[in-house]
Amino acid sequence: MVYITSWDEFVERSVQLFRADPDSTRYVMKYRHCDGKLVLKVTDNRECLKYKTDQAQEAKKMEKLNNIFFTLMARGPEVDLSEVTGKEQTDAQPTKRGRGRKQ
Amino acid sequence: MVLLQLDPFLNELTSMFERGTETGSVWVTLKRSSLKSKVVRNKMVTAGEAVEYKCLIRATNGKKTISTSVGTKDHQRFQASYATILKAHMTALKKRERKDKKKSAEADKREGTSKRPKKS
Repeated sequence: MVYITSWDEFVERSVQLFRADPDSTRYVMKYRHCDGKLVLKVTDNRECLKYKTDQAQEAKKMEKLNNIFFTLMARGPEVDLSEVTGKEQTDAQPTKRGRGRKQ
Repeated sequence: MVLLQLDPFLNELTSMFERGTETGSVWVTLKRSSLKSKVVRNKMVTAGEAVEYKCLIRATNGKKTISTSVGTKDHQRFQASYATILKAHMTALKKRERKDKKKSAEADKREGTSKRPKKS
């Protein structure tokens, strides 16, 4: 399986993969408590990227990645990611909440 | 496959994690979807309407599958609850070990106390 060793590389390639084909790319997470292992997979059914870990600190990084994917998927792949904090901007969709961008 | 609303989904996900403590895995899949068939989607595109996309979330423990779809408005809320559930259940992962002994020794003292109370 295509296991990536560097977390940053995994994140970057996953986002690229998603942006290239948002309709067929999916993000899978598997957690085994008895083994204490976490495996992440991003695939567009042509290419597959995986990342595995057993470190608690990686779970935190994974949470950030979750946020990235949630935003990408819910709002659209053109969203400008400012890395978790303040993910708004670009691509129409005027949010009704209005994060202080009202003129 | 059971399609649930947001909150019941989160509750079911929590119980899945709890059940899978001794044995088994929990899979969570995230995918973007408009939840409409191709025909309907094409019609919408030709009509000039914006196709609304949602984030489809599926969870399974190998035996039972649950799913929910999150729209643009709900995704912030879901994100927060989801992160809480994960943090609460992913306790079997190891803390930082070895690496740089000096660094981790110092970092551990600082982080170890703030992160989790050590059980003696």
